[in-house]
Amino acid sequence: MNRRRCFALVALCVVAACPRPPKPGDPLRGLSRDERERFDNGRAVFDSVFTPETGLGPLFNANGCAECHEDPVSGGTGDEVERHATAFHAVVPGGVRMCDELGALGGFVYQNHVTPALQAALGIDSEPVPAAATAVGRRTIPEIFGFGLLDAVPDSEILAYADPDDSDHDGISGRPNRFFDGRLGRFGRKALVPDLRDFNDGAFSAEQGVTTPAVPTEETVAGMPVPAGTDPAADPELSDAKAELATAFVRLLAPPAPLKLSREAQQGRDVFSRIGCARCHRPTLTTGDNPIAALRHKQVDAYTDLLLHDMGPDLGDICLALATPTEFRTEPLMGLHLKTKFLHDGRATTVEQAVELHGGEAAKARDVFSALAPGERAALVAFLKAL
Amino acid sequence: MHRLTALSLAVCFAAFALAAQHPSAPPSRPTAPHDSVRGAVSAVDVQARTLDVTTGVGFAIRVVRLQVPADVPITDRGRGQRESMRLVELKAGDIVRAAFGSRPTGLVAYAIERVGRMATGVDSTP
Repeated sequence: MNRRRCFALVALCVVAACPRPPKPGDPLRGLSRDERERFDNGRAVFDSVFTPETGLGPLFNANGCAECHEDPVSGGTGDEVERHATAFHAVVPGGVRMCDELGALGGFVYQNHVTPALQAALGIDSEPVPAAATAVGRRTIPEIFGFGLLDAVPDSEILAYADPDDSDHDGISGRPNRFFDGRLGRFGRKALVPDLRDFNDGAFSAEQGVTTPAVPTEETVAGMPVPAGTDPAADPELSDAKAELATAFVRLLAPPAPLKLSREAQQGRDVFSRIGCARCHRPTLTTGDNPIAALRHKQVDAYTDLLLHDMGPDLGDICLALATPTEFRTEPLMGLHLKTKFLHDGRATTVEQAVELHGGEAAKARDVFSALAPGERAALVAFLKAL
Repeated sequence: MHRLTALSLAVCFAAFALAAQHPSAPPSRPTAPHDSVRGAVSAVDVQARTLDVTTGVGFAIRVVRLQVPADVPITDRGRGQRESMRLVELKAGDIVRAAFGSRPTGLVAYAIERVGRMATGVDSTP
């Protein structure tokens, strides 16, 4: 009896010592007190709601970060769909780049909403897409859990997976995108943005119309400055300290814990590798040195290589920097079990549909998926739904 | 004494080098306000002597149009700091760093350096 009690007590202690998996919205484990405080304060900025008087607009997609990144908690997804537009010229006119992000015409993010003052001044409900655009892409809202770990992956690791000229002749290239200043891109569906801080500073401007010291000027209305009197808040509308806090919150969000793999899902993991999915959706990336211990030398089950791949003409839409219309960054699959819509524009409502819509470099793996025996196919889907 | 001579020479050389790097601005160039930009050349108009540079932060993209007077120094880091180049040699996709000032007629460049090129290769950031 005593022995049995002792056994139960030990078992209880073991269970209690096991850290529970992080829930969506939890911070990374192992933060210092100061880092945890920044995370909490950053969430307050992330959750804040802007009005025209506090900086919103005049053009905007949302009145705060958490208006879009809301489901199931701050940092999650949302049901908004954005419009991105660019002009791509495969045959380049003399002296210009193939991709025109329409930066001189208010691009490439065309905001869906305007403030009442801008509506009264111009009679518009959203920013018009200029006639020069050759494509308009729809963009769903990604979850951003674990993005701090993606930010901490060294460029050298990403570049090590690149094979821009397909020199190994496996039909999969993997091209790095670059921001306009030459830095390696990794965030956004076209891997345009080099780091989280840039992503957030840019989002304050492009998504909320909130200026910061990093982006001190308002978005234009298709290239025209906003009319006088339509932007009551003085620039910058958000301090550098608050912008940095918002980034700290995003940086320190834990990646979603995958679900426990069933035996079927474990078989699916093997199928995932065998049929070639893992060539682009690389299961693990490793972070480099980092001032934050919770981000330093960590393995992250990201299921991405953060590189561009040709996905075929059916998925193609806009270009962006070096990304052609048909090239997209390998979407990270971590947190896939939280998603209800798939692909960059949400056109797929099931995992199976999303796989079947892969083309281009992924066509071979897609075809193998389609030809799998029903049991293996179900196993692969079970694995994906557990990520 | 030897140390003093060496030091004097070094100071002279440094002053000379500094002067060479920052040639005194002709009176026609703007002095204030001034700024700098690093981005990708999106268009070059040699006849109008303008340069469009795409820059920005994250998804907030901006295009800066610079007037480039004929006497503006344009250098190429790849060729060596002192190697100058002509406006016509700048191509779309080149990454440049430009110092400029604001005038009633627009933004006017007063130094342009080509630092690299946007390419999908596996080289590190230029």
